[in-house]
Amino acid sequence: MGKKTQTYRNKIILLSVMSVLLLGAVLMWSVLTGQYPLTLRALLSGDSTSVLVFLRLRVPRALMGLIGGFGLGISGFVYQLIFRNPLASPDIVGVSSGASAGAAFAIVLFSALTPATSIAAFTGGILALSVTLLIACLVPGKNSYTIVLAGIAIHSIAQTILMFLKLSADPEKQLASIEYWIMGSLNGVTADRLLLPFLITTLCSVLMLLFFRQILILSLNEDEAFLLGVNVTILRFVILLAATLIVSSIICVTGLISFIGLLAPHIAKLLTRRSDLATFILSGVSGALIMTIADIFARSISSAELPVSIFTSLLGAPLLIVLLVKNGRKEYRND
Amino acid sequence: MKKFTAFFLACVLLFSAAACGKTSEPDKTPAPTRTAPTQDIQNQDVLTPAPSVPTPPEFPKKNPDSSVSVRFPLTVTDQAGRTVTIDQPPHRIASSYYISTSLLLSFGLKDKLVGIEAKANTRNIYRLAASQIIELPNMGTAKEFNTEACVAAKPEVVFLPMKLKKVADTLEELGIKAIVVNPENTELLIECISLVGNVTDSMDEAILLLETIDTFLSYTSDRVSTEASPRVYLAGNSDLLSTAGSRMYQDSLVTNAGGINVAAELSDTYWANVSYEQILAWNPEYIVLAADASYTIEDVLNNANLAACDAVKNKKVVKLPGDIEAWDSPVPGSFLGSIYLASVLHPDCISTEFYKDCVTGFYETFYGFTPANE
Repeated sequence: MGKKTQTYRNKIILLSVMSVLLLGAVLMWSVLTGQYPLTLRALLSGDSTSVLVFLRLRVPRALMGLIGGFGLGISGFVYQLIFRNPLASPDIVGVSSGASAGAAFAIVLFSALTPATSIAAFTGGILALSVTLLIACLVPGKNSYTIVLAGIAIHSIAQTILMFLKLSADPEKQLASIEYWIMGSLNGVTADRLLLPFLITTLCSVLMLLFFRQILILSLNEDEAFLLGVNVTILRFVILLAATLIVSSIICVTGLISFIGLLAPHIAKLLTRRSDLATFILSGVSGALIMTIADIFARSISSAELPVSIFTSLLGAPLLIVLLVKNGRKEYRND
Repeated sequence: MKKFTAFFLACVLLFSAAACGKTSEPDKTPAPTRTAPTQDIQNQDVLTPAPSVPTPPEFPKKNPDSSVSVRFPLTVTDQAGRTVTIDQPPHRIASSYYISTSLLLSFGLKDKLVGIEAKANTRNIYRLAASQIIELPNMGTAKEFNTEACVAAKPEVVFLPMKLKKVADTLEELGIKAIVVNPENTELLIECISLVGNVTDSMDEAILLLETIDTFLSYTSDRVSTEASPRVYLAGNSDLLSTAGSRMYQDSLVTNAGGINVAAELSDTYWANVSYEQILAWNPEYIVLAADASYTIEDVLNNANLAACDAVKNKKVVKLPGDIEAWDSPVPGSFLGSIYLASVLHPDCISTEFYKDCVTGFYETFYGFTPANE
């Protein structure tokens, strides 16, 4: 047992070192990639355009890839734990579809102005969760499955609203904006838009870390958690709210980013074969790496910007398959 | 521009020959009426231009006597590649695409229209040229075509956009002739004008329109040909970061005006999204906003991400006029967008007065109204 623990510790140390190195390398790659021909000489000589591109566009975009991917990864991990469902993702409580409907609402009513779209998407995501939880509260004998069912109902309603908004959208202007928002992109992310996702992801991650032990207990069995002194209802509400705040704050800036919330936790679990704190952090790291690399491809393959979700799926799915074939699907331990 | 002229001539000859070949014996085929639009004899002794400055063309007058007729039944291939046979000149026409509707109005066919696309009340050109058509039965949109409404309007021919290609087959099964049009670039617009002219037995009007476009674009092109071509970024309706590549109609809008479309390297057939970095790398001298852009010139000038761009630094950001219709879409009057843009890019060659005269002349000739002050 002691040897096994030592081996696991060594593995985590190795994974941590690799994570740091990979994050550093990918960040560097992201900062060095773009359509504007940046040179070190131009930057050092203080060329105004180069400095503007580097500080205002290139660095914020690279950081958004890391923060966004990390946030979506840890949120996905928490969703899967709380709902005890390996297929759980932000959509299970209607967050993604709520945010999409919110963004479409702003695009149709207020045109595609960035602040309006972001605020409406954020509000839509939080509203969807609030209504889901409210419905779940009204159901007698509530448990996590009640939330899932309420989430599916809200997801359907949000999708219907989205369909209606797309139908009434101007095909030349608004419809294209809605479709592009749904496909997700880090295009146009600037320093001022980075602040909200950064603050919310940091605060909510800290909150999740503080309550991590209780989250793990909750993921085992709700009755046992209750007997161990965990206030199941309040804890579930707080942690779901934190995860949803993270997702909403990210997708209100980037548009919908598919697959990371679902995929990153599985990659982490296949690497550690557990559901512990290291896996939680590794879910975030996997998400950050996938999102940043996907964004590098999205912005450099052609002069036109491609939707980042194409590459998150293209990169993530084969990686998941390789890990699945290599490591097999095993029950994860909650430590 | 040479491309336009060559294609125009080929197209006119092709369609004229096709149409006339069915009307009568070859030796009796009337030649297409070519009303010389470039010179007004009465004005020759009044205006004596300097040798180096060509006389601006003038708009032709419509000839009330038809000179080119089409023999029916007529078999055509529409722009979706479908073969359609029209048995007789249609007297009841429907259009579910604003471009074909505008084209039909320019041919003077407003009284034959029995149904048009949805949201017709948002098109100012309809209000100005034929306000009664706004009340016609609504055929729906490219997203949701209303087949039953179309059948109820009893049209003999329906014009549809490419997005409704599948609907065209359904309508054929219901006994309504459907023609799919797809004027997504200059060549396809010329083809579209000829196709619609043929099907509606309006080849005189079609040829007149094509000649007018060719004459005025040739003049503009000749005037700016010796000037340096500025780099132009054309920003789309939905977003400043969406733009048109070389395979889109909007590319010719810029090149016909004597500019270089910085996004010509893009091969997308729809508005493509680019990054701020890409715009800065292209560093356009002018930024031109589409007529229906949902953002303003001030938004662009105040956008800190583009502060280093020449167009923003020099405040050379303009918006295409859209009071009558959006000239950045392939409507018959879209060549006026090129003339407007030429007046911005090359004001010494193409004056604002000439541009305004063109707008007035075009809409008076083809749509029967005088624009207020475009």
